[in-house]
Amino acid sequence: MKTSLITSAVLHALVLTWALVSLGSPEDFEVSSLESMPVDIVPIDEFTQIQQGDKQAPKAEKSSPVPTKKPTEVADAQNIGDNDVDLKTLPKPEAKPIEKESTGAIKAEEKPVPTPEPVEEDAPEVTEEKPASEPATEVASLPEPKEEVKPDPKPEEQPAEEQPAENPEAEALPDRIPTPVMKPKVEQQAQTAKTPDRKNEENKKEKKKSSTAKESDFNADEVAALLNKQDSSGGGAKRAKDPTAFGGKKTTVGNTLSQSEMDALRGQIQNNWSIIPGMADASEVRIRVTMQLDRDGNLVGSPEVEATGGSEAARRALASGASRAIRKSVPFKGLPAEKYDSWSEVVVNFDPSSMLF
Amino acid sequence: MEQVGLAATADVTLWSLFMEAGFVVKLVMLGLIAASVWTWAIVVDKTLKFGKARRQLDAFEQVFWSGQSLEELYRTLSDRATSGMGAIFVSAMREWKKSFERGARSPIGLQMRIDRAMDVTLSREAEALEARLGSLATIGSAGPFVGLFGTVVGIMTSFQAIAGSKSTNLAVVAPGIAEALLATAIGLLAAIPAVIAYNKFSADAGKLTARMEGFADEFSAILSRQIDEKLQPRQAAQ
Repeated sequence: MKTSLITSAVLHALVLTWALVSLGSPEDFEVSSLESMPVDIVPIDEFTQIQQGDKQAPKAEKSSPVPTKKPTEVADAQNIGDNDVDLKTLPKPEAKPIEKESTGAIKAEEKPVPTPEPVEEDAPEVTEEKPASEPATEVASLPEPKEEVKPDPKPEEQPAEEQPAENPEAEALPDRIPTPVMKPKVEQQAQTAKTPDRKNEENKKEKKKSSTAKESDFNADEVAALLNKQDSSGGGAKRAKDPTAFGGKKTTVGNTLSQSEMDALRGQIQNNWSIIPGMADASEVRIRVTMQLDRDGNLVGSPEVEATGGSEAARRALASGASRAIRKSVPFKGLPAEKYDSWSEVVVNFDPSSMLF
Repeated sequence: MEQVGLAATADVTLWSLFMEAGFVVKLVMLGLIAASVWTWAIVVDKTLKFGKARRQLDAFEQVFWSGQSLEELYRTLSDRATSGMGAIFVSAMREWKKSFERGARSPIGLQMRIDRAMDVTLSREAEALEARLGSLATIGSAGPFVGLFGTVVGIMTSFQAIAGSKSTNLAVVAPGIAEALLATAIGLLAAIPAVIAYNKFSADAGKLTARMEGFADEFSAILSRQIDEKLQPRQAAQ
């Protein structure tokens, strides 16, 4: 028995040692680290009550956009900008002014390219008139002005061609095209052009023939005259004078009535409200008035008076008193006109217990 | 503060689990380890003894049925300490010899005495075979309960500690429970081999006892025949 006991003890010692060594500490479970999600409560005012200003400008008490340059022209303008017309779009800085100049220069140079046009126009005329008796004189007359024009600088050549194209039409079809904008442009070009009248007359004759022959011909200048030249991205016509301050792109609704403005409105009603002192349960009644106002502070429709708490009689008495007081105190004064959006429909709460003496 | 301490010692090796357990739980665990040691000591002892007993029985049966004279066999066996069938044979032969030396009268009385002597030896031998099997049975049945007791006490104390730490973080809860469960684990570790060994050894002891009983009955029959043969001429002579 002794030997077996020793055997057993040794056996246990061995097993326990093995267990201590090999079982050891089990490997930790791999738990993917979960990031805690921070939750912030952000007041929505920040987004609903943005005042127009400049994003890059430093913060100031009152945000205001970049000052405009032009003097005020449009009365009652609502949107800030340098435009002549009060548009709701935001003013944008003119993009790439250099390119515009280049396009203008190219236009002047490109125009000569279509110069073959009259030649082509004339060519069919020539072919048409070939059966006529005097083809040689007419053909000969055409190159003559060209030779005269050629030594002239190219831009001068352009109006010379345009002018005859417009003038005959103005004469021939005066009622068809109402183009008031176009006229000064034509005059300017006409001043720069130094074309002989004789050539005009000759061209007139020819063009008259061609215009009668092709009355439905497409004229790019007519379309250009009809196009709206107003810059749509010019912004509004209201001028800003304050220095630039931090703010949003646009003024978003916002503008709730301040507490003092609300108190002023409530005071106007309370002044006209005669509460019978000592009415039972009057102190437990709460009055809630919802009314629509126009810009002058007058009522639109009838005010909605809601009374809660207290006895039925007290509720009725106070509710009718409240609506009487409102009718008496109309029109309301001292309401800021620029915040009309916030008081066009206004809710006023009354606690009659505070009005009892 | 306490939570920090618990988190710092979050290593759960067997040794740290044992060392962090409370006094009662430690006592339970040590007791169970001792029980396990005792169980395996009995297992080793019984395995050796039963093997030896089986070999002795085989050897004796071979010698007994070899046709050797019983007197001669008795002379060789009585000189040394014997067990099993040998002991039964020796006790029966001793009684036989004593009765004949003094001149036994009644064959029935002699038969009864020899049987009684063999029964006593048989029961002593069976008792020797079954010795300590009772403790195996006890460890097998009580071990899990003792371990469970340690676990319950350990969990109780660990919950008290958790209540003190005011945190239900798993890192706070887990080590205490793991350490408490170690007690049940050790209890089962001791009990399972004990139960298996008890069943095996009690069955083996039953088989060996039955074999010895068979031999005793057979030998009793042989002796009874001898008695009749030896007493018949004597009675006839009278």
